[in-house]
Amino acid sequence: MPLTVETYPTLSEAARAFAAARAARFMGGGTILMRAVNEADQSFDTLIRTTDRAMTEIRTTGSAVTLGAGVTMASIAASRDTAFLAPVARLIGGPQVRAAATVAGNLFAAAPYGDLTAALMALGATAEMTDGRRQSIDDLIRGGPTRSLVAAVHVPVPQGGLHFRKVSRIKPKGVSVLSVAAVLPRQGGRIENARIVFNGMGARPVRAEAAERALNGQALGASAIAAAAAHAAEGLSPRDDAIATAWYRREVAGVHLRRLLEDIR
Amino acid sequence: MPLEFRKEYFADERDDDLNEIGKPTQRQDMVGHVTGRSPFYDDHLFDGLCHIRCTRSPHHHAKIRRIDTSAAERMPGVRRIITGKDVPNNLNTLLSLLDFGLDDEPLLATEKVCYKGDPVAAVVADTERQAREAAAAVRVDYEVLPHVLDVEEAIKPGAPSISKPYPGNLFVYHGKYDHQKLRFGDVEAGFREADHVIEGRYQMSPIEQAPIETCGAIAAPETNDRFVCYTSTQALFFSLGTAAKLLDISSARLHFIGGTVGGGFGGKVDSLHEPMAILGTILTGRPCKYMFDRAEEMQVGAPRGAERWYITDGVMNDGRLVARKLVGYFDAGAYTRLSSYAIIKGVGHLPGPYTIPNVYSDVYCVFTNRTPATAMRGFGVTGVDFAIESHMDVCAREIGLDPVAYRIINSYRDGDMKAHRRVAKNTALIECCQVAAEKAGVKLSPSLLAASSLKDGGGVRGEIPNYTATDQHGRVEGYSSGSYAQGGQSREPVETGRAAPPRPGHETPRAPAPAARTEPASQTPAAARRDPPPPPATPRPPEPAPAPERAAPRRGPRFSSISGLRRR
Ligand SMILES: Cc1cc2nc3c(=O)[nH]c(=O)nc-3n(C[C@H](O)[C@H](O)[C@H](O)COP(=O)(O)OP(=O)(O)OC[C@H]3O[C@@H](n4cnc5c(N)ncnc54)[C@H](O)[C@@H]3O)c2cc1C
Repeated sequence: MPLTVETYPTLSEAARAFAAARAARFMGGGTILMRAVNEADQSFDTLIRTTDRAMTEIRTTGSAVTLGAGVTMASIAASRDTAFLAPVARLIGGPQVRAAATVAGNLFAAAPYGDLTAALMALGATAEMTDGRRQSIDDLIRGGPTRSLVAAVHVPVPQGGLHFRKVSRIKPKGVSVLSVAAVLPRQGGRIENARIVFNGMGARPVRAEAAERALNGQALGASAIAAAAAHAAEGLSPRDDAIATAWYRREVAGVHLRRLLEDIR
Repeated sequence: MPLEFRKEYFADERDDDLNEIGKPTQRQDMVGHVTGRSPFYDDHLFDGLCHIRCTRSPHHHAKIRRIDTSAAERMPGVRRIITGKDVPNNLNTLLSLLDFGLDDEPLLATEKVCYKGDPVAAVVADTERQAREAAAAVRVDYEVLPHVLDVEEAIKPGAPSISKPYPGNLFVYHGKYDHQKLRFGDVEAGFREADHVIEGRYQMSPIEQAPIETCGAIAAPETNDRFVCYTSTQALFFSLGTAAKLLDISSARLHFIGGTVGGGFGGKVDSLHEPMAILGTILTGRPCKYMFDRAEEMQVGAPRGAERWYITDGVMNDGRLVARKLVGYFDAGAYTRLSSYAIIKGVGHLPGPYTIPNVYSDVYCVFTNRTPATAMRGFGVTGVDFAIESHMDVCAREIGLDPVAYRIINSYRDGDMKAHRRVAKNTALIECCQVAAEKAGVKLSPSLLAASSLKDGGGVRGEIPNYTATDQHGRVEGYSSGSYAQGGQSREPVETGRAAPPRPGHETPRAPAPAARTEPASQTPAAARRDPPPPPATPRPPEPAPAPERAAPRRGPRFSSISGLRRR
């Protein structure tokens, strides 16, 4: 099965070709895909890419930022508009990976990759597909692969900021044991609509709903933090992999959530 | 921190007039390495180079019902698909070259696969991608068998049997025991006498050596019916002997070129890339490269094996260790490779650098359905040291002594008898502990500060105990002894129902026609092994008897090639 590479000037043309092809992959930065190419992965025979400039644009509209699907970690780290996301982008891979790795690629990266995705989920970001649909990141990645492509990601700029912690055994470039992203909007000192997302605590990034419940309506005090930490892994099903065991991840999830919350306080 | 030399130790034993040792001489390969000019095996380019990729088992343990290579054979660029029946002598164990252990590992699996990644077929194709595509198109019909991944599970009755020559999943030592024994004094009596009996269990994980240069070899036809092979091996002559044996070809027809190794750490001692690359060349007439990619290096490249140790120490209130019992399990993975030897070496190291009057040890080389393990830096010793030293700390804490003090109390001194009945010399552990304590700010009592490895050793401490409790535990029947334990006995394998260790082949040159062999050994391995080895085509002189351990004393130590086995 020889490999064909098709390059299209616009994303919509690429999307049409992608929808029509039987065994094609869309190529973002290729940090994951090119490894599959090198190993002659038999599940695809065509690579589709686009040179569309819109893919790499970062636009600010009111209280949201729109990231083209092909925006790289390096440009997130460099752009003033995405300063709130830059600390996350800087934690992904090394300089070479960051120069190529894209926002959309991270959405489909296998666990425990997906650190940026966890942050996007905590921020309540939505994905805009090439067929015009918009859906939450959570729904998109839960649904698995689709026949349409991600065109852009809309990210609300968070009030009070995004809090992020990546836990890895090798620093600075190691893969996540887990990472945790939190957005904790406050009304009169009390947390409302907390969004806490773990990456590495399952097959894909997941909301820590029990921990969120423990924080909602509370001030960020010692007892609320303790309660959130105690419930951190509730309902989550981490996996064993070469980085850590499921047991270990469940044990330490609360510890890292507590440290993150204590840092905010 | 600047490096300190403590040259006062062993000053009288050291030659300071050597030309190289102890002198700041530049390594001869350093300039090449730092300027990027050193040639590694993968730097050798050949016109028309073919690439070899393997079809590997997706199962831990499975019977091979059928291998269908027809679709793969028709794919573009494919020159040849190699399966086990193409390998002239498809069963080997590295140490059989030293007459130690039974052949248990095929180059390409034919009857069953024993670990995830066990190679079943190899594709020779014009490009790497074509080779990978065809390797993926080889259809293997497996019957999945129950597997076992834990050493102690593997030796329970009823556990799946992995290794044909060792049906109980245990390597057989010296043709006698299913483990390597060490007995010194009476450990049970020691425990009865002790104030504390302290137990511990220690488990290590396998460790991948992860060299920058992945394992591999490039072979090409040479003039005079020879083959040249550029290889990453760490053990050129082992690799040469292994290739000659597996391919049933005279080693005189193999021209091995190695020497520049892009990181090895033990993981390149027993790679099987050379025979595969040469076989590809024999079968296609083309230069062939067989090289692990990174994922293969991590998944199927032989790691340092996992070890599990149970240690029981008998300790007196004053800190003296009076008895130590060690039971160890080495996870060899699916095939022996070098694990059996690692154990011999490890047991020679027991009970660690301490003088203990009663020592008992049983160490098992266990087969599991995991990647075969091999050497890694200090192998046989590193894992057990981790266990011993961890346990020393545990015991020190238990009896309320500082761990450094506890070690000094028990350190061996010059003239002491070690459990494997060699007199300790040049010990210096006490001095080492004293310096470490000083650096770490640990206060030692005046008596411990005055202790010396040169004092108070020997005497009764230098004697072999009057009574050593021995036993027949783990005795097996039906195996013949390998050369390690033979002493002056005959080398002929005894005729038994079980497989006797085949001898390394002594071949006469012959034309390369392995594919034409109608009845390769691999198809009837049990029967083939039971028969005496076929007589060589030309009569060969009787082999000289091995130098027995108790041969006339030599001048100075002698080392065998890679094993560092030291005879005195
Ligand atoms: C050394 C190394 C270190 C890494 N470290 C990290 C890390 O610390 N944290 C982390 O989260 N990740 C890490 N990664 C994973 C990866 O690089 C990133 O997740 C990256 O964001 C993937 O993006 P990409 O554009 O390179 O993906 P690609 O390889 O191009 O694509 C990945 C998948 O996404 C699909 N895809 C790409 N774009 C689209 C689109 N627009 N629409 C639909 N599908 C699309 C592709 O078809 C493919 O299936 C690392 C990778 C490497 C090699």
